[in-house]
Amino acid sequence: MSSEIILEVTNLAVEFATYGGSVQAVRDVSFNLHKGTTLAIVGESGCGKSVTVQTLLGLIPMPPGRITAGSARLRGAELLGLSADRLNHYRGKRIGMIFQDAMSAMNPTMTIGDQIAETLIVHMGMSAAAARQEVITLLTQVQIPEPERRLRQYPFEFSGGMLQRAMIALSIACQPEVLIADEPTTALDVTIQAQILQLLESLQQSRGLSIILITHDLGVVARMAHEVAVMYAGQIVEQGSVDDIFYRSAHPYTVGLKAAMPGRSAHKSVLQEIPGSPPDLFAPPAGCGFNARCPHVMQLCTSQAPPLFGTSHQARCWLQHAAAPAQALYQQLIASVRS
Amino acid sequence: MLNYILKRLGMGVLTVWFIATATFAAMHLVPGNPLANEKATNAVIRANLERQYGLDQPVLTQYVIYMGNMLKGDFGIAFSEENRSVNDIIRETFPVSATLGLLSLLFATAGGVMWGALTAIYRNRWPDYLIMFLVILGISVPSFVFAGLSQFAILHLNKWTGVSLLPVAGWGSFRAMLVPALVLGLSTMAYLTRLMRSTMLDVANTDYIRTAHAKGLSTTRIFLHHQLRNAILPVITVLGPSIAIITTGGFVVESVFAIPGLGRYFVQSVAQLDYTVIMGTTVFFGAFLVLMVIAVDILYGFIDPRIRVEASR
Repeated sequence: MSSEIILEVTNLAVEFATYGGSVQAVRDVSFNLHKGTTLAIVGESGCGKSVTVQTLLGLIPMPPGRITAGSARLRGAELLGLSADRLNHYRGKRIGMIFQDAMSAMNPTMTIGDQIAETLIVHMGMSAAAARQEVITLLTQVQIPEPERRLRQYPFEFSGGMLQRAMIALSIACQPEVLIADEPTTALDVTIQAQILQLLESLQQSRGLSIILITHDLGVVARMAHEVAVMYAGQIVEQGSVDDIFYRSAHPYTVGLKAAMPGRSAHKSVLQEIPGSPPDLFAPPAGCGFNARCPHVMQLCTSQAPPLFGTSHQARCWLQHAAAPAQALYQQLIASVRS
Repeated sequence: MLNYILKRLGMGVLTVWFIATATFAAMHLVPGNPLANEKATNAVIRANLERQYGLDQPVLTQYVIYMGNMLKGDFGIAFSEENRSVNDIIRETFPVSATLGLLSLLFATAGGVMWGALTAIYRNRWPDYLIMFLVILGISVPSFVFAGLSQFAILHLNKWTGVSLLPVAGWGSFRAMLVPALVLGLSTMAYLTRLMRSTMLDVANTDYIRTAHAKGLSTTRIFLHHQLRNAILPVITVLGPSIAIITTGGFVVESVFAIPGLGRYFVQSVAQLDYTVIMGTTVFFGAFLVLMVIAVDILYGFIDPRIRVEASR
């Protein structure tokens, strides 16, 4: 990837203090977001993907949340540790955000128009009338019919798909460089999902948006992403281009995820699963977080945590070590899964 | 919306009729009548009086006559006072009670919303603990204790400053209304504070407040434009019953501060079994209450758009 880096996150670690002890929700996460591309962060529920992106905008409650290490730079400017006032220059203006359930993410007692106009008035210093005009333009851009009438309506008068469009209009209102989409299509049915993804793609092309897309749907990843980071138990376990992840999977967890995807063929009637469940993040196990569920677990995996191996395509797995005895066997296995 | 209002008003009339009938029945179930303890009368005079007031008629006939008069807006003549109609009593004393009630309601809601919001902002820090302690006090201590204590405090304040800052009792000037209204509204204020605190905390944890933060709005703007309006909805819901508690519960405060309000008649009439005054004040208060609850519901529709639409369906 040759284009310039917009957002650079390095060694981010976040923990939450609870009555049961501190939960290490995000551990040593690093990624780069390149201009005009989409980075998908994939992983199952509770793996820390939402916490990672919400931390960037200071949206996790602190306390109990605490950033213990790392940095996040937007075009070189540090975001972490900024006061709420300073952060508000970025929130909504340079980084837009879309949430999963638009119905609960919109204020129920405020019209859609007012909610979108609000960011324009606050960030761009627009007058109410100018903001209203801009809202109409934005609603047209996200393909909401009859924008003049729609902007006077309240969220409960919108359908789920229309509301997600309005949410997108809201997030791009101030021409941000980065758009964070936190499971934007999870609450929608498949047809509407496809429309929303198409909308995001066309906005990316027309505005040069850089998108961080959080999802647990590999289908969405395959369609949207240029680069992919697979998260497991608070860590990025594999990272690379979309082809690397799908065709040259290097981590057993990624392989498992792919195998668990429902296929189109009729004779694969039983869905495959990854046995076991994610580790307890109150006390992460020694060694690799995936060792209890890994079909290729070695003695080393239970005592020592693997580093990220590789350069552009990285995987946090001892099998990638040059001296790994099973590596040859493992490559064969991957080949068999792929075919 | 108009349809909705008409429907609510129709239900209200039915409610008031029910209140009137139930009061009438309960009143006549109590042994004796308003003339029973007149000392100087003999049997003949009493019979004459009963005939004059219609008390010798069967109860059902009395009910029909009374309801007929009430429909015409006539509550009859008071038994306990010479030549004074119940309508006159209400006309003269209700404005006093209403002023007192309105002022205390103003105190209660303004205070409740403000203190509630404050406790939510300072959650689990000392302002929160202090206010919540006072709230428990406000809810559990009866108003006559506060009334007495506040008079005591006024007395010492006036003595200490050497000028008459606030009157200890009486009615007429705004200064005289201040303390009674505060005392009367205290328990409602405490209750609203608690309610406001919990709804504020609920709203603060919602997704749309997170969205508001993600939009880069200032904390003040989020508080005023997003949090307050959503948190205030449940407070408005209980405003109707609060008006009830304040206007009807005013008699204690009215008697401690010697305020010539309707509350006094409301209580006295029951002790004296003064049929017409009991009926008049009860039906009047009942109708007032019903009207307030309807008014609050309509107001609610203006604040929460979701209700407006459901109502018009």
